[in-house]
Amino acid sequence: MSGTQQQLHTKQETPVKKSDEPALKGTFVSVLLLGAFIAVSWIGVFVLFIVRN
Amino acid sequence: MHLHRLEKIWLTIGIGMLAVFLIVLGTMAFSMGIQPPSGHRHTIDPTKVSETAPFDTPGFTSIGDHHYEAVMVAYAFGYDPMTYEVEAGSTVDFAVTSSDVVHGFSIVGTNVNMMIEPGEISHIRHTFDKPGTYLILCNEYCGTGHEYMKTTLVVK
Repeated sequence: MSGTQQQLHTKQETPVKKSDEPALKGTFVSVLLLGAFIAVSWIGVFVLFIVRN
Repeated sequence: MHLHRLEKIWLTIGIGMLAVFLIVLGTMAFSMGIQPPSGHRHTIDPTKVSETAPFDTPGFTSIGDHHYEAVMVAYAFGYDPMTYEVEAGSTVDFAVTSSDVVHGFSIVGTNVNMMIEPGEISHIRHTFDKPGTYLILCNEYCGTGHEYMKTTLVVK
């Protein structure tokens, strides 16, 4: 009985701990994609400028 | 302030990118002299352009071997002088002003692209290595004839 209670207790605690630290994996990937787009655009314009100079 | 581990990573990447962009821009501005074409602070009375030297006689002048000075006036809707020819490999120093409203001065396919403001003299230098007919056009909306405002520079 006490073992089941403990299990329940542990199961309940786990999601509470997770919500402390928000899940930012998706945001991280979005930020990296946006960053890659900005970097590629900047490098593209820079290379065009250098080639035409 | 508590920052998530991933937030720290993307903030580092973002700030790093900004630093790289600014270092490249700063290096080019100071070591290669790449600055805005109107940043030289040469001014002119826009109502007296046709009486003020050198804009009283616009044209291309040879100032050295394969080196020209181009004094040009942008007006609604064209450029003075109308036509010019230089040899391939020539370097041209453009000095352009406007006798009326804001115009553009863009040589298609090159980095020459500047704003021509009344009262300001815009300078830019370009070396034309490839022979051909270069289209010069206005890319600042200047009035009803804006789309007809163009001229050509022939490189032989």
